[in-house]
Amino acid sequence: MSRALAGALLIGVAGAAYAQTTPEALGWLRRIYEATQKLSYSGTFVFQQGERAETSRITRLALREGSTEKLEVLDGVPREILRTRDEVRCYYPQSRTVKVDRGGELRAFPALLPEQIARLAENYTITMGETARVAGYDCRAISLAPKDGLRYGYKLWADAKTGMLLKARTIGENGSVVEQFTFTQLAIGNVARERLRPAKVEGGWRVEAASVTPADLARSGWSMAADLPGFRKVVEVRRQLGEARPVRQVVFSDGLAAVSVFIEPLEGRREPTRTGLATMGAINVYTREVANHLVTVVGETPAASVQRIGNTVEYRRPGN
Amino acid sequence: MKERISELMDGELPEREAAAPLAALRGDGEASEAWRLYHLIGDAVRGSRALPGDFTTRVAERLAREPTVLAPGRAPGMAQRALRVAMYAAAGIAGIALVVNLAVEPPQAPAPVAQAPQKPVAPKVAAQAPLPLPLAADDYLRAHQLYSPRGDLQGVAPYVRMVSEENVAGGR
Repeated sequence: MSRALAGALLIGVAGAAYAQTTPEALGWLRRIYEATQKLSYSGTFVFQQGERAETSRITRLALREGSTEKLEVLDGVPREILRTRDEVRCYYPQSRTVKVDRGGELRAFPALLPEQIARLAENYTITMGETARVAGYDCRAISLAPKDGLRYGYKLWADAKTGMLLKARTIGENGSVVEQFTFTQLAIGNVARERLRPAKVEGGWRVEAASVTPADLARSGWSMAADLPGFRKVVEVRRQLGEARPVRQVVFSDGLAAVSVFIEPLEGRREPTRTGLATMGAINVYTREVANHLVTVVGETPAASVQRIGNTVEYRRPGN
Repeated sequence: MKERISELMDGELPEREAAAPLAALRGDGEASEAWRLYHLIGDAVRGSRALPGDFTTRVAERLAREPTVLAPGRAPGMAQRALRVAMYAAAGIAGIALVVNLAVEPPQAPAPVAQAPQKPVAPKVAAQAPLPLPLAADDYLRAHQLYSPRGDLQGVAPYVRMVSEENVAGGR
C-alpha cells in the first residue's frame, strides 16, 4: 500500500507541477451546485458500478419554499426515494415499508457557500476539460484530480447553458472508473406536481421513522481523530438505524467526499458481526469492534481513508 | 444507579454513599451486569486480553472449593458473595494481564473485546480479503447519504447506490 500511496503522491506532485486549479473551473463547479438547487427537470440516468448497471428515473420540482425530488429505480427490485428539504423517504413497495430519515439540516458548512467551493481546491486540482455531448446536451467537462490517495478523483460533465450535471464519474487509482452516473434523457423545465407522488400500495405503508438528535460523542467517552488531511467534522448525531437500533454517527467531509463513523452497542445484537473491509463501487465499509461496541465506517472514499479513520476510534470511560 | 456503580468501581464514591450500589450489586441482575460490562469496557480500553465467557463462574467455583478467608464455607448466600469476590479477582487478573500486555504490545493497538474468536485489527488494506457488505448496509448508506456533499451536486441520485430490498429484508 505504501508504494501505491507513494505513487499517488508522485502523481499528485507531478500533476500539481503541470496543472493548477483555474478560476473558470471553480466557477463551473459553482454553476453545477446552483443548477442542482434551482432547476426543475425530469430524466433517466444509468448508474454503473463494476458489473452493475441500473436505470433510474429522476424528477425534480424546484419551488421557492424548497424542492422535492423523486428517484425511481427502474431495474430489479422496485424502490422509490423522495427527498424534500426536511426529510428523505425511501419506499420499498414489496415489503410495504417506508423508511424516513431526517436531520440532514444539522450538517455544518453548506456546500453552496463560495468559500466551501474554493476550499475544494485545497484537496483537488480542479481544471476544465473538453467539450462533449451527453444525452443531446453540449457539455463542458470539469476534472477534479485528488492531491493525495485519500480520496477519489472526479470528472463532471455539465450542460453548457444551464450548468445541469449530466454525467459524473468517480475515478480511482490508475484512472480506473469506480462508478458513473450518466443521463440518457433529460428534459429541463417545469414538472407537474403530481409526478412527485409516491407509488400507491394497497393496505398502506409500514413507516419506520428514525429520530435524530445532535450529540457530543466526546462527552460520552468516544474519541476519533479524523486524521485525514482536508477532512473535517460536519455533523455529530444520535440516530436510529433500521428497527430502532440506536447509533452514534459522526461525519467527516472534505467538501465533496464524506466518511461516516457509526458506533452502536454490540450487546443484544441478533446477527453475528464480521470485522474488516467491504467494498461496493466507490463505497468502502470498514468494521471493527471497540469496547464492546461495533464501529462501522462508511465512506465514498478509498479503503485507506475509512480504515485510517476507523482505527483511531477509541473509548475512555468519561471522568477518567 | 449505573453511574453510582461506575463511581464505586473507580473508588470515587464516598463510603457513606456506597451502601446502595453495593446492595444493588447483591440483589439486582442489572447492576451486576453493569459492573461486569464496565470492567469489560475498561479492559478493552486498556487493551487487555479478553477472558473466556465462563471465567467468573470458574473462578467462583475454584474459590468456593478453596478453604481461604475469602470463602470460608458454604453458608446460604455465599455463592453470590463469592461471585462478587470473583469479579474483584477478575479485575485484578485483568490488571495483571494489562501489565503483561503492555510489555508485549504497543499501547496504541487495543485488541478488540469479544467473546467471539479474536482477530487483530489489520493495519493495512491488503492484509485481509474483502468482506461482503454488512446486512444493514442500506441503513448505513441512507444515514450517510443525508450528510454527503454529493447530494448538493447530484440531488437525490446518489441514493441509487443503496443495494436492494433483499438486503434490507435480510437484515431482519
